Amino acid sequence: MQLTVNGQRREVTHPDEMLVWVLRDELGLTGTHYGCGIGACGSCTVLIGGQVTRACLTPASAAAGREVTTVEGLARGERLHPVQQGFLENPLQCGWCLPGHLMSAAALLERTPDPTPAQIEEAAGINLCRCGGYNSIRRAVARAAELKREGL
Amino acid sequence: MEAGGPVKPVTRRRVLIGLGSGAGLLIVGAPLALNAGRPALVEFIEENGTGPQDAPRNPDLWFEVTPAGVTFFVPKVEMGQGIHTALAQIAAEELEVTPEQLTVRQADTARGYAGGTMFTFGSTSVKALYRPLREAAATLRELLREEAARQLGVPAGRLTAAGGSFFVAGSRERIGYAQVVAGKQGEWVIPKAAPVLKARRDFKRIGRAMPRTDFRDKVLGTATYGYDARLPGMLFGAVARPPRFGARLVSASVGAAGRQPGVERVVIDVGAGFAGVVARTRTQARAAVASLDLRWEGGTTASSADLDAQIQAGSGSVLRRRGNVRAALDGGTVVRAEYRTPLAAHAHLEPLAALADVQAGGRIEVWASTQYPQKIVDDLRGVFGKDREVLVHPTQLGGGFGRKAGQHAALEAARLSAAVGKPVHVGWTREEDLQHAFYRPPTHHVLRGSVGADGRVRGVEQFTAGGDIIWGQTGMPEFVRDALGFDPGGLLGQFLPYDLPAYRVVNRREALPVPTGYWRGLGVLPNTFALESFMDELAHAAGADPLAFRLRHLGSGEDGRRLRGVLERAAQSAGWGTPLPAGRARGVACCLDLGTASALVAEVSVQERRVQVHRVTVAADPGLVINPDGARLQVQGSVMMALSSALHEELTIQGGRVVESNFDRYRLLPMRDAPEVEVILIESGEDPQGLGEPVMGPAAAAVANAVFTLTGQRLRTLPLRPGT
Repeated sequence: MQLTVNGQRREVTHPDEMLVWVLRDELGLTGTHYGCGIGACGSCTVLIGGQVTRACLTPASAAAGREVTTVEGLARGERLHPVQQGFLENPLQCGWCLPGHLMSAAALLERTPDPTPAQIEEAAGINLCRCGGYNSIRRAVARAAELKREGL
Repeated sequence: MEAGGPVKPVTRRRVLIGLGSGAGLLIVGAPLALNAGRPALVEFIEENGTGPQDAPRNPDLWFEVTPAGVTFFVPKVEMGQGIHTALAQIAAEELEVTPEQLTVRQADTARGYAGGTMFTFGSTSVKALYRPLREAAATLRELLREEAARQLGVPAGRLTAAGGSFFVAGSRERIGYAQVVAGKQGEWVIPKAAPVLKARRDFKRIGRAMPRTDFRDKVLGTATYGYDARLPGMLFGAVARPPRFGARLVSASVGAAGRQPGVERVVIDVGAGFAGVVARTRTQARAAVASLDLRWEGGTTASSADLDAQIQAGSGSVLRRRGNVRAALDGGTVVRAEYRTPLAAHAHLEPLAALADVQAGGRIEVWASTQYPQKIVDDLRGVFGKDREVLVHPTQLGGGFGRKAGQHAALEAARLSAAVGKPVHVGWTREEDLQHAFYRPPTHHVLRGSVGADGRVRGVEQFTAGGDIIWGQTGMPEFVRDALGFDPGGLLGQFLPYDLPAYRVVNRREALPVPTGYWRGLGVLPNTFALESFMDELAHAAGADPLAFRLRHLGSGEDGRRLRGVLERAAQSAGWGTPLPAGRARGVACCLDLGTASALVAEVSVQERRVQVHRVTVAADPGLVINPDGARLQVQGSVMMALSSALHEELTIQGGRVVESNFDRYRLLPMRDAPEVEVILIESGEDPQGLGEPVMGPAAAAVANAVFTLTGQRLRTLPLRPGT
């Protein structure tokens, strides 16, 4: 089976396995993190066709024919995506949950370029951060929205 | 509790040159142990006699200067606490380089950080390395200055170091560090005079915000954690787990596992209690482990109620005795209260993980997210032979909180790799991580106190019991633990930091049938919850304002002064005593731990039996702050983790196993429960103290105290459940 990941066609030999393992162990894209396997922590969040998706609950075969975007696909060469810049300016601690927050925020800003604090809360609130970086996450997403509107 | 012990002074002789002589390479380090094999170390050995018996292969080498720049090999692991950044700032300060000129790299065990010195625990990293690291960096700077002076033909005193170069006073001439090293002929010689450390008023980097050295890789998704370690040709492993704590594997056979797809090898060693599978994918390995034919015997069938029954305060070792407590409690208004805290998990979001490459009869190489790399070396030598060459590369850690001081995944990966002759990665599932770990032990606290008509505490009697923490993770025999009577980990936050005329503390430790051990801050969260709740109860019994009551009971010494500082600043910023909207109240608590004073004001409401924390104001005084941004994250993170414990976290034991298998049942603080946390940093000392854990102390008590003020209900058990 073939998958399109970050704009590249990739051959996948275990389409029945969960996307998080196929991305990490088969395709070497270890930026997408495993945290719970039941969709509760959000560390594995990726975009499939632009939709926020838990890669730990989604068989790779479910992504066939659709565009998968992972954290590795956010930057354009040296140019960071606004959500990456937003978190660089408002860092978390260990960063294991970070890819999930980046992907959730990227999807939020696509459909809501000027989110209210409540909309940020709703989008980011489905992902856990054990280091307790919630104050940073709120600021990082708000900052990312500002950067995106400024055309970063 | 007392401030931490003084930092051991590091003499000039403890700073070593590793290698030089015109090789274009200069290595400087401070030996936490030494190597008799390197000629440049002779000077050290002459001064100190022979080296320790367990001298490692290499000294601790911190810096390398090459024509490409200065590389700093950090001897502590990064688990999110920002230690690589903080230590780089300290190094850059004395080296007189910009952060951009310093390449920061994680040291591996081959660089020789012997014994426990790479062990990253107890909020000790900055505190312990603040002076030795500065001395090593300053020695390097002065070595370079002497050599630069020789090469330029000017007196060393005319050279000013800045931005990785020396500038000649009164001229435009300059020479870069790399150029100095490249132009060096012959041996480097340690300067006769000890390097002069910079005065605090001259600091350019310490005390200022500096961006995290590790965070660009993290936002790009390219940072390597233990779960991400990869080698060509690697396979994936999974390991069988006992059905109950303490159960022994008595027989095992391959069963259907050997015929499962992708399975490369089934590894069974009943004597070692080990059964695992190597497969081409992780999913295949896990599926095959589930179909192994295993028989387990024994182990515990304990339940949470059994643990609670075992943890009963009331007798034990007398840890403190001041004044006549019996007489003090014989008058005034007497208050008695009991508190309990539950078994809790670390729940670091990256489960245990390691990659091992065991070369037949040769070197064992491991990449692991570990707080204690040297322990992996020791554990592997215990299995594969004490002379075996073992190299451990610590990776980034996706959280640790004490759990990654033990790293069984490395040993498991190594057993599997040895059997299959290829590199094997083992990454635990969340279920394994929650159900087969060691835990924060439950505690029980019984306090009796009395306040007089003058509004002052007459005396306090305190009984505490808890499961083992440090003893739970070391090989200390039970009779020694019993003779000592207490667990040192349980002592953190154990003592009321107030000036009381009579005070008696009795502590009791218990070995529980479930594994218990280090959890962020050890005793500080459970103890401070009990003590600072009780202090509040005494304040209310005295009809006093809880803040004023605390301030009134602080001593006039250093500890009292620092606690007064944080209490006053937090209270002022939180608007203590000013009106709040209906349905809200404030609570206060403070803590002195590992040399750091902290005070916290929580503003809460209670809605449908749920506590909502709206705002937290916390003041922390760690003596000296290296990186204000990093310090704020540490304080906020401590508050959030403590709130998570205060509001949600509790593990249940049933039939000798943990009931909660994942985050659907073991609830962590979600964003909607996370208040804005205002952090006030106070610097009242010469040297930095610990900041990763002490602020775990006051949050739970401050919230419980606020709930009491709001509802009149005193919640004495964590997690806090009002109205039940």
